[in-house]
Amino acid sequence: MVFNWFHFGIILFLLAGIGFAVFPIIVALLFSPKAKGGAFAQPYECGMTPQGGAWSRIGITYYLYALLFLAFDVDVLYLFPAAVFYKDSIGFAAFWEVFIFVFVLVVAGFYFYRKGVFTWPRKIKM
Amino acid sequence: MMNILELIPAELIRILIGLVAILVFIALNALILVYVERKVAGFIQRRPGPYEVGPWGILQTLVDAVKLMGKQLFSPTGGDRLLFWAAPLLAFAPLPLLFLSIPVGKNLVAYDANLGLILILAFSGLNVLALCLAGWGSYNKWSLLGAVRSVSQAVAYEIPLLLTVLAVTLMTGTLQLSAIVESQGAWPWQWNWLVQPAGFVIFVICALAETNRAPFDLPEAESELTAGFHTEYSGMGFGLFFLAEYTAMVVVSSMCTILFLGGWKGPGPEILGVVWFFAKVYALVILMMWMRWTFPRVRFDQLLNISWRWLIPLSLFNLLYVALVVKI
Repeated sequence: MVFNWFHFGIILFLLAGIGFAVFPIIVALLFSPKAKGGAFAQPYECGMTPQGGAWSRIGITYYLYALLFLAFDVDVLYLFPAAVFYKDSIGFAAFWEVFIFVFVLVVAGFYFYRKGVFTWPRKIKM
Repeated sequence: MMNILELIPAELIRILIGLVAILVFIALNALILVYVERKVAGFIQRRPGPYEVGPWGILQTLVDAVKLMGKQLFSPTGGDRLLFWAAPLLAFAPLPLLFLSIPVGKNLVAYDANLGLILILAFSGLNVLALCLAGWGSYNKWSLLGAVRSVSQAVAYEIPLLLTVLAVTLMTGTLQLSAIVESQGAWPWQWNWLVQPAGFVIFVICALAETNRAPFDLPEAESELTAGFHTEYSGMGFGLFFLAEYTAMVVVSSMCTILFLGGWKGPGPEILGVVWFFAKVYALVILMMWMRWTFPRVRFDQLLNISWRWLIPLSLFNLLYVALVVKI
């Protein structure tokens, strides 16, 4: 592993970003008032006392989207190295390879569409 | 004296100057953009906007920033203090890094990385994690709902964004931002947006959604979720999220400029490159503000399905179309 100026830049910029964000918080800690007591730090629920906690089970209808995302995202990442080389490739062979890859993705998307993943309220046909 | 200066490597000086310039730019940019946003909102709604503090209210944001720093910081009872305070820091921390390899003019770049595009795509993903932590750490139902929404929204719009970026890469054959700019000409009809207009439109829509701007600002929809993921943040905690949002707007606009609008290229001598770059970036930012105050917010299932039903298939076809064009 060679350490070059790019890595140095990334680390320096990340540290600078954290420093830039911490500075106003420290200023606020030094100069802000320090009030205490009452329902001061109660979670805000439009002025009412909260009914139950927030960390309860909620109906997540989004998990199928998350699964889909994972599949699509990894596929797209595979395409990046191909895309960089694509211009230098000779003939139409590269185009057909990309076409087959993307076509499988389209078919997958169409399958989920027909399954009813994208209709709300969700009715998935098994 | 000269000997000491010669000992310091040129790259180090370049990175340090870039760092200082970028940090100054981020601070100034937020001050100006918040003011401009409020003025634009005012004019669109036929009211003057801020005009009390300073001439035409120009010092309003400065006063607001001082006010935010003077507010008490607290974390809600029952919440996770560590995650709660890690979130705003995490939202802001990667932002200077996103500017690291953005070429503002010819040779005006802190470090011209050959993986600049991947760098931006990778580190802009940290924003989602920050919103997720903010929602979870707050121990507040509004915040949690906002966080759940923001994750599924970011996830949905990440794919068409990646696919349009991929189409540009397919055409230019490089991930280096300066090389992508070099591949485009000086005049508007030599830019990438004319080769793939569909990609350009999809990128702008995804940019709006990824920065949580209206009409896609569901994670912080104030009429249904109070303030979404930052309901519990007071003072500077909220300020950092705000700063991050306005900086992210400039980052996506400059990405759009580089990928589709010719970057710093423009008619006239090369020294005008910086002017052209910022003119294009701020034109896009103003466009985003205009959309925010013109369009109503979409419903959440509509938001997700616009992406999954329309944008992803369209961007896949766009990718194939570009692949075909490159070969012909």
